[in-house]
Amino acid sequence: MKQLSDYLGIRPCTLVYLLLIFFSLTTFLVGQMGFSGLGMSLLVLSLALIKGQLVGSYFMGLGSVCGLWRWPVFIWLFIPGILIGMAFTLSYQ
Amino acid sequence: MQYKSQAVAKPYFIAAIALFVAQVLFGLIMGLQYVVGDFLFPEIPFNVARMVHTNALIVWLLMAFMGASYYLVPEEAETELYSPGLATLMFWVFLVAAALTVAGYLLLSYSTLADVTMNKLLPTMGREFLEQPTITKIGIVIVALAFLFNIGMTILRGRKTVINLVLLMGLTGLAVFFLFAFYNPDNLVLDKYFWWWVVHLWVEGVWELILGAILAFVLVKTTGVDREVIEKWLYVIIAMTLITGIIGTGHHYYWIGAPEYWQWWGSIFSAMEPIPFFMMTVFAFNIVNKRRRDHPNKPAMLWALGTAVMAFLGAGVWGFLHTLSPVNYYTHGSQITAAHGHMAFYGAYVMINITIISYAMPLLRGRNAANPLKSQVWEMWSFWLMTIAMVFITLFLTGAGILQAYLQRMGENPQPFMVVQEQISLFYWLREIAGVIFLIGLVVYIASFFVGQNDPEAATES
Amino acid sequence: MTVDRSVIQSNYPPGDLAIWIFILAELAVFAIFFAAYAFTRLQHVELFNEYQLTLDREAALINTLALITSSYFVVRSVTAIKLDDRRRCVHWLLAALSMGLLFLIVKTFEYVQHYSEGINLSSNIFYMFYLSLTFFHFMHVIMGMVILAAIAVMAARGRYSRQEHTGVESGASYWHMVDLVWLILFPLVYVMR
Repeated sequence: MKQLSDYLGIRPCTLVYLLLIFFSLTTFLVGQMGFSGLGMSLLVLSLALIKGQLVGSYFMGLGSVCGLWRWPVFIWLFIPGILIGMAFTLSYQ
Repeated sequence: MQYKSQAVAKPYFIAAIALFVAQVLFGLIMGLQYVVGDFLFPEIPFNVARMVHTNALIVWLLMAFMGASYYLVPEEAETELYSPGLATLMFWVFLVAAALTVAGYLLLSYSTLADVTMNKLLPTMGREFLEQPTITKIGIVIVALAFLFNIGMTILRGRKTVINLVLLMGLTGLAVFFLFAFYNPDNLVLDKYFWWWVVHLWVEGVWELILGAILAFVLVKTTGVDREVIEKWLYVIIAMTLITGIIGTGHHYYWIGAPEYWQWWGSIFSAMEPIPFFMMTVFAFNIVNKRRRDHPNKPAMLWALGTAVMAFLGAGVWGFLHTLSPVNYYTHGSQITAAHGHMAFYGAYVMINITIISYAMPLLRGRNAANPLKSQVWEMWSFWLMTIAMVFITLFLTGAGILQAYLQRMGENPQPFMVVQEQISLFYWLREIAGVIFLIGLVVYIASFFVGQNDPEAATES
Repeated sequence: MTVDRSVIQSNYPPGDLAIWIFILAELAVFAIFFAAYAFTRLQHVELFNEYQLTLDREAALINTLALITSSYFVVRSVTAIKLDDRRRCVHWLLAALSMGLLFLIVKTFEYVQHYSEGINLSSNIFYMFYLSLTFFHFMHVIMGMVILAAIAVMAARGRYSRQEHTGVESGASYWHMVDLVWLILFPLVYVMR
């Protein structure tokens, strides 16, 4: 069965790949510069969750699935994301 | 029955059921001893009754596994068994060894039994569930090796199906892990490690493979669903079983002197152990819903679905109840463990063995597909009696366990063990009543082999 | 080319349903591990912050890039087989495998370094989590590589085509899962403080 990605070709995935590289470098730099604190932690966490969603939607191809199976990666990112965010927020109080 | 040599399964099944009866009788004796401490003392002390109860269970499950293998492997491999003679010989060796061992437990004191069987030469006795004299253990190894050889040669010679390969993997694991029973180090921590590598890796590892293979076989036969669909499920279930089961061994390392990280590893991985059981439930119902025909053997189908549900409840849910280390800190070795043990063994291993017996026995007794209606009705009654009785046994023991953990280990004034036992005796009485109903179910089950035998066979495929 | 809207969406993810159930179970284990890390850190913030600095962040970056790149290569191999280009499919799979190998080598160097410093699972709670999480993931990289290698062999033997390539998609989905887990693991364990 043909999916959206079959018509668009590889280009969206290439773009996603470049974005992933960019976000990873940003994350790395945050670490290298010794940034810390709640804001930075949540920023890095958000970048990670966005990266995860990109991998899920484009690389894994869930973006072009409809129904229940569109959501597992999103849910997987959402629940631990909230828990990690909560734990880090608490650790700064 | 498609192959003559499948007939060797029959004595294995009959002996298994006989030992099942013995197991339940000793269970009832013990259950009564919980509340009437000197019942049958000194003839059958509690520790002896317990040994017979658990050892008879293990031996009859092994016998039924062997019977199941002798029945299904030739059919799957599409060839006669490599050596039916060896299979029959090994049956008698196994039966005599089991009978002598039980006689030893009942007639001699345990230390005398150890002396008589020259335990000193290679000490292996004295560990829970592995109480058998060394010589019996050696006998088990010989029987297991001959069995594996026989099954392995049959599979090599014939068609190689996923069901057969998974079964062979499980049986090989069963034999290999039993070898740890021969190593009995002085260091108590090491001793516990090796002991769990038999006990845990059996029931939460390789036995599950055997369970999966037998269940898949019965479902292939009774539903007519495509083999490929069933095999795919089997693969996933097995991968999950091995990952969670092997690392999940860590839930036994919490309090035996193992490093602290096992608190985490054990908790996280064993918390995942219900997943393969849940998959098995989904798998069984999925396949039955997709069935291409209605097999006339209704009880076999009932037992198969029952296995899928009860294994998930007993092994999965009741295992999860006390598998996390902070919970286990309070419940370790309490009646919660007994509750889990009862429902898990019944739901997973007793029921899968009855499933294959229920499917195979009519064929082994020369019928086309199924028993007469009357016999089927009796068998289904026994299913409900035993299963519901087991649910109640489990619930009463769980109640006892929660109360026990609370009174004995929590709160400001923890009470001594025996004082608490007095307080939870009502639960023990209720459990004993449920146990009697279980026995009635078992009697009905056995009666189902004899009632209505002259009636015509139940309607064949529609 | 006109796009027929009715065929561009599917109800099922690419690959076999069975591998997806497996992926979900694996993801669940990692999710629990991540949450456990975050909440345990709450009890030992100073200790976690102190020992996080001893980790090799450069190595982790190289590994992140290696996994992302190999995931991208796997995407290209799936695209190739959909165009019936078996040779390309195999080549991209081999490229992805080489990136996986790079990951294993770098991570092994890290472990050797820790080992020579006498660090193990019992050193402290931070190292317990760090070693457990990364090692469990390490095993998944190996498992994923075995799957990719098996698929590469079968693709080279001509088992897959434009019409039938579920196997490639299943392996690809598993490999992306390995990547996905690392994408959370890297910031959580190496950077967030």
